[in-house]
Amino acid sequence: MSIQRFTRVRGLVAVGAIAATVVGFAGLTAASAAEKVVLGALRFTSHAAGFIALDKGYFADEGLDVSFEFFQAAQPIAVAVASGDVDFGVAGVTGGLMNLAEKDAVRLVAGVLHEKKGVDGMMIMASNKAYEEGLDTVPEIKGHSMAMTQVGSTFHYMTSRVAEKEGFTIDDVKLVPLQKVGSMIAALKSGQVDAMIMVPHIAKSLVNNGDAKELGWLYDYAEYQISALFTSVKNIEERRPMVEGFIRAYAKGIADFNRVMLAADADPAEKEEMTKIIHKYVYNDRPYEKAAPSIQAGAMNLNEGAALNKTDVAAQMQWFQDQGLVQSKLDVDKLVDDSFVKNY
Amino acid sequence: MADEPERAQPVKFRGGGFVSKPRRFVAPLVFAVLIAIWEWGARAGWISPLVLPAPSEAFEAFKDLVESGQLLRHLSASLQRLIVGFTAGTTLGLTVGTFIGLFSIARSGLAPLVAAIFPIPKIALLPLFIIWFGIGEGSKVATILFGSFFPTVIATYSGIDNVDRGLIRMGQSFNLTYRDIVRKIVLPAALPAILSGMRISASISIILLVAAEMIGAEYGIGAYVLLAGNLMATDQLIAGVAMLSILGLTVNWLINLAERRFLKWRA
Amino acid sequence: MDLKVQGLSHRYDDLEVLRGIDLTIRQGEIVSVIGPSGCGKSTLLRLIGGLERPTEGEVLQVGEPPADSLNPLTYVFQDFALLPWRTVKGNVSLVLESKGLAQAETDARIADVLARTRLTDFADAIPKQLSGGMKQRVAIARALSVNPAVLLMDEPLSALDSQTRELLMDDLIQLWAREPFTSCYVTHNLNEAVRLGHKVVVLSRRPGVIREIVTIDTPVPKRSISDPALAEIQQSLWEMMREEAMTADMELADG
Repeated sequence: MSIQRFTRVRGLVAVGAIAATVVGFAGLTAASAAEKVVLGALRFTSHAAGFIALDKGYFADEGLDVSFEFFQAAQPIAVAVASGDVDFGVAGVTGGLMNLAEKDAVRLVAGVLHEKKGVDGMMIMASNKAYEEGLDTVPEIKGHSMAMTQVGSTFHYMTSRVAEKEGFTIDDVKLVPLQKVGSMIAALKSGQVDAMIMVPHIAKSLVNNGDAKELGWLYDYAEYQISALFTSVKNIEERRPMVEGFIRAYAKGIADFNRVMLAADADPAEKEEMTKIIHKYVYNDRPYEKAAPSIQAGAMNLNEGAALNKTDVAAQMQWFQDQGLVQSKLDVDKLVDDSFVKNY
Repeated sequence: MADEPERAQPVKFRGGGFVSKPRRFVAPLVFAVLIAIWEWGARAGWISPLVLPAPSEAFEAFKDLVESGQLLRHLSASLQRLIVGFTAGTTLGLTVGTFIGLFSIARSGLAPLVAAIFPIPKIALLPLFIIWFGIGEGSKVATILFGSFFPTVIATYSGIDNVDRGLIRMGQSFNLTYRDIVRKIVLPAALPAILSGMRISASISIILLVAAEMIGAEYGIGAYVLLAGNLMATDQLIAGVAMLSILGLTVNWLINLAERRFLKWRA
Repeated sequence: MDLKVQGLSHRYDDLEVLRGIDLTIRQGEIVSVIGPSGCGKSTLLRLIGGLERPTEGEVLQVGEPPADSLNPLTYVFQDFALLPWRTVKGNVSLVLESKGLAQAETDARIADVLARTRLTDFADAIPKQLSGGMKQRVAIARALSVNPAVLLMDEPLSALDSQTRELLMDDLIQLWAREPFTSCYVTHNLNEAVRLGHKVVVLSRRPGVIREIVTIDTPVPKRSISDPALAEIQQSLWEMMREEAMTADMELADG
């Protein structure tokens, strides 16, 4: 009996060993085929192209095994990319990002969010109090206070573009840095600041709830490159094919998003399907029925083909340098690597 | 026995150690060595400027700040907030703490409230502070006020709790008035506890300075640090953090002075 | 002014501490109270001075206290109860402040009591600089400064070493000789009781009742360590207490 058992055990071990070898080989080939890539993301509709690309298998088609690392704010994503913890990130073209590029840590490789006339984007809005006191058009912002997150943020830049177009300067408005979007909302609702510029899904819900008034849309002042896809200089130099594949897949996600989420005549079924994909990542703490309107309200124009408006990025960089927020020795070619997508 | 040669040897010393003696030069030396290694590492290139800028770069950023004249504006803005907030918080805290320490009704009513609110991170309440106190100096001062109020309350009433009851009984036995017993016996006896509470609340105030200056602050060391962080200007960040640290050391030194001045009588 | 204790009983919740105490302390007389530990001596003293309210009975002041007495019933505590942040002078002035005295009178009183307790040279020292005996002299000076009608002394020498105790006892005797004061002197030390007391009240163990009141006729200033008559009284007091002291020693706290 003991001999019998011995043979059986040995037999099992042999089978196990063979199986392990086979699985091992399979695993090895799979690993070599699917390169691991981490994308740093925020749970915003504006980051949806990445979610769609993953869900629809565009990343897998390029042989990439993409996973997400979620953040609370865009700034830490840039730092995480610089440190190599994350491979790609999407963030506003901010002073912080430019200074990281100046330190040769990151570069912009593709465009993501771009204001476009007629597509809901950033809203310029006034507090109820200021509105009642006569602030009911955009040019009247001159001389009023405006909330923003930080000095050197996209909000800071957007305000300057509005001012420029209306023929006054940024010094004519009192900019109040409040660090957090939540604080900006609190300040506007309570009338502590007169105006602000806000992302569409929040802005629209504020206006619909009667907490603030719409003054206008940013696209009437600046059709500009709000956010971009960036990666580390190390990735560009050492993993160029991976970066190319990632951008191709991301561009497909953008194409799907723009076609379904922005078009007025989009197929409702397709729109619902896509909203459901996005809902896996955005507002996933609420039931789908409640989340869907917010998700759809947050849809903004994404750069078709992930093209990058380098001209505008250069202009933004110039503005930050003029403000003394970014080192003047930074060159746009150090900030943007234009070899991946169409630049204009 | 007398004629036997006696072997004599000194008793071995076995005491010593386990006593901390002040060594004045050690602390500056540790600082100097650390900074030297850091500087050398940055120049040699094995500390990337992205990870940590060289001390010399941080100093350069500090020099820029001095030369541009901004340092004074930042410092005066922050100090003003710290002094107003800390003074108001401490005064209120002393008053409430004394009431809790002296009156059972105040204790039953307020002590649990203080215990419930103390651990709330004030930074989480910033949006509410904006609505309550506005985006001007009000909310900044209030943040620091709240930060220094609660530790002072707790230090004051636990100080009063620990006052030697024998001293109070002595005061009563000499027919001192209630007011005199509080003023001349209870509060001076609680002073050591109150001062060590102040040491904590002063540090908390400096920590909260950065949080306070998140709300619409154009100037202030906290605002400077925040801006440096947002812009990834790590040299300015280090310079700002160093200023906060020096501010903390200064406050600590002031409290040491106060302790030496007012608590000489302690054994 | 005399003090009269009538039918005094006291209890803390279920614990009966004192029962049926009747006692008179006459003007100019030192009454020592002794008894085994935990017999309620100190409680009795707190009841006499009005720091605690008796469960039953009362304490009466018979006659008027002297007109210049600022605090007729004044304590001297075992642990001195000095404010450590005040100087010797400041500790004395504490009990004179806000009593409506002119500054000159306050100063005069302080100077007087410091001289009487031989502390004049230490007026500006703070308590942590003083020895135990000096601290107690400060406390005595403070007590004398208010011209008490009765000094209530709660084991005033117990925290001191034996040499210091002898010195301070001499001081007390001298003080009394110069200006006889009325006092209730609580102690567990039989020698002190016999040396200082005109009467020695012996309390039984808890609940404390008066077992005996021994009167000593030798004038206080004439008593000495080696007086055989005093030794005999001390011996007989000890016989009286010995058994109870042993029982008290074996008792568990919170029994």
